[in-house]
Amino acid sequence: MSTIANALQSQVGRKILTGLTGIFLTLFLVAHLSGNLSLFIPDGGESFNLYADFLHSLGPLLWIAEIILVILFLTHAYLGVSIYLKKKRARPENYKYYKSQGGPSKQNFASTSMLISGSIILLFVVLHVMHFKYHLFSPETYMVEGTEMVDLARHVSEAFQNPWIVAAYTFVMVLIGVHLKHGVWSAFISLGAKNPKLTPVLYTVGGIVALLLSLGFLAIPLYIFINGGL
Amino acid sequence: MSSTDLIKVHLKVWRQDGPQAKGFFEDYTLDEVNTHMSFLEMLDVLNERLMKDKKEPIEFDHDCREGICGSCNLVINGVPHGPEMLTAACQLHMRHFKDGETITIEPWRATAFPIIKDLVVDRNAFDRIMSAGGYISVSTGNAPDANAIPISKPDSDSAMDYAVCIGCGACVAACPNSSASLFTGAKVSQLSRLPQGAPERKKRVIAMVDQMEKEGFGDCSNFAECEAVCPVGISITAIANMRTEYVKAVLG
Amino acid sequence: MEVADKKYTFNWDNKIPTGPVEKKWSTHKNNIKLVNPSNKRKYNIIVVGTGLAGASAAASLGELGYNVKAFCIQDSARRAHSIAAQGGINAAKNYQNDGDSIWRLFYDTVKGGDYRSREANVYRLAEVSNSIIDQCVAQGVPFAREYGGTLTNRSFGGAQLSRTFYARGQTGQQLLLGAYSALMKSMKSGKVAVHTREEMLELVTVDGEAKGIISRNLVTGKINRHAADAVLLCTGGYGNVFYLSTNAKNSNVTAAWRCHRKGALFANPSFTQIHPTCIPVSGEYQSKLTLMSESLRNDGRVWVPKKVNDKRHPNEIPEDERDYYLERIYPSFGNLVPRDVASRNAKIVCDEGRGVGETGLAVYLDFRDAIKRDGEDAIRDRYGNLFDMYHKITDDNPYKLPMRIYPAVHYTMGGLWVDYNLMTTVPGLFALGEANFSDHGANRLGASALMQGLADGYFVIPYTIGNYLAETKPGQITTDHAAFDQVEKEITEEISKLLSIKGSKTILDFHRQLGKIMWDKVGMSRDEDGLKQAIAEIQALRKEFWTDVFVPGKAATYNKYLEYALRVADFLELGELMARDALERKESCGGHFRLESQTPEGEAKRDDENYSHVSAWEFKGKDAEPVEHREPLEFENVKLTQRSYK
Repeated sequence: MSTIANALQSQVGRKILTGLTGIFLTLFLVAHLSGNLSLFIPDGGESFNLYADFLHSLGPLLWIAEIILVILFLTHAYLGVSIYLKKKRARPENYKYYKSQGGPSKQNFASTSMLISGSIILLFVVLHVMHFKYHLFSPETYMVEGTEMVDLARHVSEAFQNPWIVAAYTFVMVLIGVHLKHGVWSAFISLGAKNPKLTPVLYTVGGIVALLLSLGFLAIPLYIFINGGL
Repeated sequence: MSSTDLIKVHLKVWRQDGPQAKGFFEDYTLDEVNTHMSFLEMLDVLNERLMKDKKEPIEFDHDCREGICGSCNLVINGVPHGPEMLTAACQLHMRHFKDGETITIEPWRATAFPIIKDLVVDRNAFDRIMSAGGYISVSTGNAPDANAIPISKPDSDSAMDYAVCIGCGACVAACPNSSASLFTGAKVSQLSRLPQGAPERKKRVIAMVDQMEKEGFGDCSNFAECEAVCPVGISITAIANMRTEYVKAVLG
Repeated sequence: MEVADKKYTFNWDNKIPTGPVEKKWSTHKNNIKLVNPSNKRKYNIIVVGTGLAGASAAASLGELGYNVKAFCIQDSARRAHSIAAQGGINAAKNYQNDGDSIWRLFYDTVKGGDYRSREANVYRLAEVSNSIIDQCVAQGVPFAREYGGTLTNRSFGGAQLSRTFYARGQTGQQLLLGAYSALMKSMKSGKVAVHTREEMLELVTVDGEAKGIISRNLVTGKINRHAADAVLLCTGGYGNVFYLSTNAKNSNVTAAWRCHRKGALFANPSFTQIHPTCIPVSGEYQSKLTLMSESLRNDGRVWVPKKVNDKRHPNEIPEDERDYYLERIYPSFGNLVPRDVASRNAKIVCDEGRGVGETGLAVYLDFRDAIKRDGEDAIRDRYGNLFDMYHKITDDNPYKLPMRIYPAVHYTMGGLWVDYNLMTTVPGLFALGEANFSDHGANRLGASALMQGLADGYFVIPYTIGNYLAETKPGQITTDHAAFDQVEKEITEEISKLLSIKGSKTILDFHRQLGKIMWDKVGMSRDEDGLKQAIAEIQALRKEFWTDVFVPGKAATYNKYLEYALRVADFLELGELMARDALERKESCGGHFRLESQTPEGEAKRDDENYSHVSAWEFKGKDAEPVEHREPLEFENVKLTQRSYK
């Protein structure tokens, strides 16, 4: 329907789409993290590998899920960039001196760096998928119980003993936290959270979600690095 | 009453001859500024001095000087309407500045608010957003008795919370994206809370949002800077309202 | 008596319909000539000013099908000074069941105006007051409500009934935004074109009839011509002649004054309202005065120390050393006496040396007892924004300390003379709202200005303009008519003259000086000597202005000080007329207090035998004395009594 198509291109539509895609991506992160945390089950990575194997066994379903994820990512990124470009057009000559008023303002490092944090995260996602999904950097396979499969757990464990990789992951996981600190709250507001008493609560909730996800993802490389393996 | 003090201030004021001209900062120093003066009175004093020296005074918009007409539009020390929350520039007093302080003054900056001269900008874009749908279409003489439609006090109070917008444009000026969402959202919110506004509810929000886009205002990224600088403290809930109204209008 | 010797004739018809006062308006409406709906689009109407009167008139006339051009000097129609009215709007709804009626509102308004207004006009005002509330509510104006969902009211000075509708302390704003939204709707429909930042500088007349205006585009400085079949002045009052007033800085008399010079009589120019509850002046740099709504007098108690020159902190002055002078002198109205009475008494106690604050020119307005009675939250609910505003300006917290208030010029009851149709003595030129003189007599009651502005715009002019237009062929005059050439030339020369003087004093210097003369000699109390001095001083000041003023910048750019210079030039002419009018009216009435005419107790003493008339002044040339005409006032329904609020 053309009105809906128009609506999606309006300021409000764009923002709602950004919020919706953002929330789905966040939910994806929650799912991703829950799977990853199985690395902490002390069975030499078996649970984690089984989980990875289960995902692979889904076949076409996994493909569909992955395509949806890619669409979500690209839509979210496209909207972010277009909002940025519009902002440039909306104020070609900037203030020579500009400052936030503070108070209820949510203008801070997190909210003003969404485009930068988002871009870095996007780049990271590409590398991350190449690294752990396509094993571009360490493409060995192993035989487990007669079938050939990837010992992803070992792969992860080995990768996170490299200080450079750990440093890079740490940096990006912190950035994800920063991105979500504004993103989660912003999504609530974009989707119409309207109770003025609730908004400060939402902001805190957003911050907690961001912190937990960031810490959760950070825990794995840091643990492996400090522990010298799984 | 707090006692009268005199302070010295250095001003960096944006001067720009016309819409196309290149602007620049000009520096001035005022040695004895009474702290009970309003910010605009301080500028009056400076202008008087400039004119005594046969120089061109600084142009700035002002009218009621009571914080209600929404004319004044100065970005003071990087913040629209200056450092005091819930205060329009005309209601800002010099007691909020320190002796020897340097104060920068710039106009609102946004494509939709082109500069006319010095600190004066054109805000007709707001009129056009209002004209797109910020009203209830009731011709004179068509109204039923005022008490014919009861409206609950909370609804009426809530409508009033949004209706107090003075249309100054500080929300746009402060927004890193130059979005007019708080202004538009406030009017949409006011009228959506009242039964009188219901018949045009859907048409209104779509038309006003479209107009906002056409005028060249940026998108809202929920920075809430607008709420922080709004001289009458309109909450960004207005923007959330506008979005739900919009979704209802499109889907419903 | 001197008056009896002079022969005053009045050759204009005020068009008041015959018949009982209750029937006049409906009879008149039935007899008004109509313009055929399909013909309306052929008529062009200019509306100058977009306050309550202008916005409501422009929108309503646009709805009827006329082509309307609306002009305002601000960057948006929404910024007109009506926006600053705080307290409320009266209507005879009787929602409170306290016995209110159109008759009572009419009666109170005539009495409040000290019997110097026309009964017929005031009755009509009271009659349409209820429709205004209906109209505004339909537009979405969020008036205060009861929990049951119905509208609530409060009482206001000069009335013993609760008939004032309000929207917190921003009633004017909400009503104006309602009218503005109607204007924006008409703009969208294409029936009204709104010209912002465009100032009317002259009226163009052809054969004595209004046929257009000359305006200046305030952004480019370009002088523009606009032709029309009728011109409506909705340009507000001229309180800024006093320099310090509660008016917005850009409020001015120019449009009205230029029309006066083109033949429109100016009525009762000296009738000025001094509002009792303003924030006192704090220094020489002061640019304007801020009003605190008079609704504060519902709960605040006005007092000064009993002792002269008592410099103690207000909270340290014990109860028995405080003089609640309004409650003492006027036991039945107390703090709610009309504005003129409250103002004059403040001046009296300050003149006695009992004034408070640094300057001694202030009295206390104390909420201590109300806070004790109703709690701080209840007071905050009622007046929160006013208290905040006071706090912001003075740095004092009114929840803890009494406010300091002092009277300030607030409203001008005088204005262009209009007949019952709101038409001035220049055919085709109408004046609405504060710009005309018609409804408030010598003193305006609180919450009546908003009522009058909207009554004129929504419910009077849409009918009465038909009477003139039906007899006028549309579009006869275009902007290439010689009359436009002539007037444009005059105004262009005037602007060049101002810019070429390059004198040593600023415009503000002159305005301040004029203001001081006006406040001292044509202000709260006036006497013959002072008024005569004022006339001489203003004449001298005017001469000096035209030889020694410095106007910066150029004509063809944005130039706020050039706008200002043109306005001050007109104030310098108006000020003299106000003094003359005050001098000729040797009685005291309403806001006009002549020291020579008071009762032994010091109350205003009216002289109904000699001064029961409207003084309407005719312009005779810049250096010639104006001529006074007197329209007699007849009271058939209201019994003239010496006002007493005791």
